[in-house]
Amino acid sequence: MNTAVQPESEASLIEDLKRGDSTAYRRAVREYSPGMLAVARFYLDHSSAEEIVQDCWVTVIDAVQKFEGRSGLKTWLHRIVANRCKNRLRVANREVATDFSETLEPELANRFNSTGRWDLPPKLQFHESADTLMENGALSDCLDKHLSALPETQRSALMLYEAHQHKSDDVCNILDVSASNLRVLLHRARQKIFLMVETFQETGEC
Amino acid sequence: MLMCRDLAEIASDYIDGELNGRQNLSVKMHLMMCKDCRTFIGNLRASSNLLSAHSSGKADEEFLRRIDERVAEALEDRKSGKGNNE
Repeated sequence: MNTAVQPESEASLIEDLKRGDSTAYRRAVREYSPGMLAVARFYLDHSSAEEIVQDCWVTVIDAVQKFEGRSGLKTWLHRIVANRCKNRLRVANREVATDFSETLEPELANRFNSTGRWDLPPKLQFHESADTLMENGALSDCLDKHLSALPETQRSALMLYEAHQHKSDDVCNILDVSASNLRVLLHRARQKIFLMVETFQETGEC
Repeated sequence: MLMCRDLAEIASDYIDGELNGRQNLSVKMHLMMCKDCRTFIGNLRASSNLLSAHSSGKADEEFLRRIDERVAEALEDRKSGKGNNE
């Protein structure tokens, strides 16, 4: 189900935020904090990420007065979070470690023979639609479990691109990764989810 | 010639329409001949759709409530003229 704020209601939400309407803030906090947290988790541990997101909302109260709508509200908020995280990393002199060298997940790479053909091809086709699949509570729980086990870099890229529907350029900008590295992050994360769903469909086990 | 493993490496780029015309054509030709890769691409696409449908952006209510409190305090300060010095 798509619950994203539509453009016309986003404009009225921004006006309400500028007026300091507390109900509008409650709504915006619920709508945008999950994505903001996904951005912060790309850079920081869980508790620092939560702290940054809280600080950002306080900053937003003043900053939104100057918001001109050149980007969407979601992208603007995500950039604020990313900049704060980058500043904090700069202060702490830490950098995000990421491995972009391998395109294929080892578990998938091992399913090809030396000539590059499938040794262990996918057996089942995922027939059901995504919405139907998500009605399966056990699969949904399993997906949550696997998402939380993904490396932060892959999870943040995946969340921003798939769940929060950002364009590639925005994700690269927010997370400060090159377009080619973003492709690797997304592909590795999707393969893990593919392998998870495959195991689940074959065995019923997570 | 594009092998199954090569296709698996660029499968997300194909799904997202990020390949150039020549690469896209080789993937399509391979898919016409290879059922296993058709299944793989279909399943990888389904995995991607699954993620879009899954509202994994859930944040815990306690965390959201703490933000509400900080925002409410900051809004009060602003109204009373203390402002935010961040």
